[in-house]
Amino acid sequence: MPRESPDLAPAGAPDDEPAGTRRPRAAHIIGQNIGLILALSILLVSVVVFTGLFAFEQRRLPGNFEITSSVNNTMPLALAASGQTLVVLTRGIDLSVGGVIDLTNALAAIFLAGSVLHMIVVSALILLVGAAAGLLNGLLVGLGRLQPIVVTLATLSIFQGLAIRVLPQPGGSVPTGYTAVLVNPNAPSALLFVGLAVLGWMALRRSRLGVAIFAIGNDEQAAITLGIRAQRTKIIAYTLSGVLYAAGGLFLAASATSGDATTGDVYTLTSIVAVVLGGVSLFGGRGSAIGAIGGAFITTMIVNILFFAHIDPLYQSFYEGLFLVIAVVLGAAVGRLARRAR
Amino acid sequence: MNAVLSPAALRILAAYGAAVLLFVLGALIHPGFASFPSVSAILLIASFVGLVAAGQCFVILIGGIDLSVPWVLNAAAILIATSSLGENSRALYALALTLGMGALAGLANGAAIVWLGVPAVVMTLAMNGIVEGLALGLSGGMTCAACASYAPPLVRAAVHGVFLGVPAALWLWLAVILLVSFVLSFTRFGRATYAIGNNSRAAFLAGVNVSLTTISLYALSGLFAALAGILLVGFGGQASLGMGAPYLFQSIAAVVIGGVSILGGRGHYLGAAAGAVSLTALVSVLLALNMPEYGRSIIYGVVILALLLLYGREQRE
Repeated sequence: MPRESPDLAPAGAPDDEPAGTRRPRAAHIIGQNIGLILALSILLVSVVVFTGLFAFEQRRLPGNFEITSSVNNTMPLALAASGQTLVVLTRGIDLSVGGVIDLTNALAAIFLAGSVLHMIVVSALILLVGAAAGLLNGLLVGLGRLQPIVVTLATLSIFQGLAIRVLPQPGGSVPTGYTAVLVNPNAPSALLFVGLAVLGWMALRRSRLGVAIFAIGNDEQAAITLGIRAQRTKIIAYTLSGVLYAAGGLFLAASATSGDATTGDVYTLTSIVAVVLGGVSLFGGRGSAIGAIGGAFITTMIVNILFFAHIDPLYQSFYEGLFLVIAVVLGAAVGRLARRAR
Repeated sequence: MNAVLSPAALRILAAYGAAVLLFVLGALIHPGFASFPSVSAILLIASFVGLVAAGQCFVILIGGIDLSVPWVLNAAAILIATSSLGENSRALYALALTLGMGALAGLANGAAIVWLGVPAVVMTLAMNGIVEGLALGLSGGMTCAACASYAPPLVRAAVHGVFLGVPAALWLWLAVILLVSFVLSFTRFGRATYAIGNNSRAAFLAGVNVSLTTISLYALSGLFAALAGILLVGFGGQASLGMGAPYLFQSIAAVVIGGVSILGGRGHYLGAAAGAVSLTALVSVLLALNMPEYGRSIIYGVVILALLLLYGREQRE
């Protein structure tokens, strides 16, 4: 592989171009979005591999049922990962995801009933509960000057406790009408919500708030010097992610059609996995919720692939872990190459 | 008062103060809570968290984290039972094998973090999955013939045996506390650990072997998680699936309550050990109050937050 002579640049010099020269526009766009491009490429490859395996096994292409169930199964994680992205972009990490999803999922299973209007009001209130949970995290991180990882570790415990209080035993029920709207079992209409999330992300990315989130993720001190209100930005980012986790909880309740105060626990770690696969830097300031949503779909596709490859389900997490490491190492290598290529 | 005690020493004292306070509180609620057998039982439970926290403390001191604790612990528990088949004659071989497995998992974590540049959160999270998959797959989901084996009597004695009126596991933990504290405070290795945690580039320029130290610390974390798994099998008799799950968050909480900065470079295992005792005493007090599970979980979180707000805040520049 041809490499430029390292002698030309002083050690430790930044990758930036010298002043006066410009990269071609396409190369610039690729360089800036390398994480997203990688994530979508991995997703594409995993879809192709899955389709191949499926066609080989079933002698037909994956149809409406396979697509619909994949999309519906991924929705809670896609939303949780979008929320996690906002926090990670500010150079934080949110371990309370599982607790918020537990709590909102439990609330949904108990209170979703009756007329359409009632269900809409309940859904809105549950999203507000998520916002309150995120606000608590945000206040503690922003105003309390506490480390995100330990704050959200503690609030995880609080939210899990509240969830068990709300729904001590698995149960409750979600009306079929509600399920049909959120996770229609007959068609992949939930993709509409993915589209909404992507649009929301693109709007946020271009807003003042989005710029501020990226700025404090890249260099908090510099951002503050430039007049960005870091505390307020962090509080809003955590609150927004709380809303997204709550939406995840609603989708989880809708697809399970009943509630369980512990099924959300897994989303703490899987949302981090999806964010990492989606090319979001854990060191903040780099990445995209679109990538994270892609990461969520990649994890679903991997489970599908392992199933159709007849891998013993007991070994599933072994392959998932191995894949995560390989994806991250390859992603970093490709990213370095792309930044080096002029 | 800061002229006498450094802030670091104060944080450690605060962790011990919290532990003592909880025992006093427990004694007020429930006479006999602070009796010798009761305290000794609580400390025994705390020792498992404390041992995991030793490894967690090492890696957090360099600004890392070990999320692979749950399944390294669980795999160690399964391995000690299946490789010893409950026989003393095979106990030493099984111990070496199990501790080696833990150290190897940690070594792989450290190597990938140092040489492949994988973030610690991602690498140890992936390792948790890798070890989980192997443990489940190789044991057939705990259905293997050897999986029902008990811990060898030797290992059970190392937990339940009583020496000078105190359970043997507590002596073992005391030895670990002394050893780890000595290493952190008085050895080159300990100095290097703090140096890396404060500024790994400066440490590198000062001649510290950052790579080797980092890898060793992760290997130690795996080793301690495996040790805790062995002792838990000795305590309960058999291995079970999911037995490692509580120890991830408890070990991190113990380390943080003990005044160790999650950013690395500041804190001491003496504090983390007190943190482990405080956490366990807190749960015991809540159990003595007949607090239901949800209440314990909520109060647990609130207490961690309160302690953090008390002394875990970043210094304002």
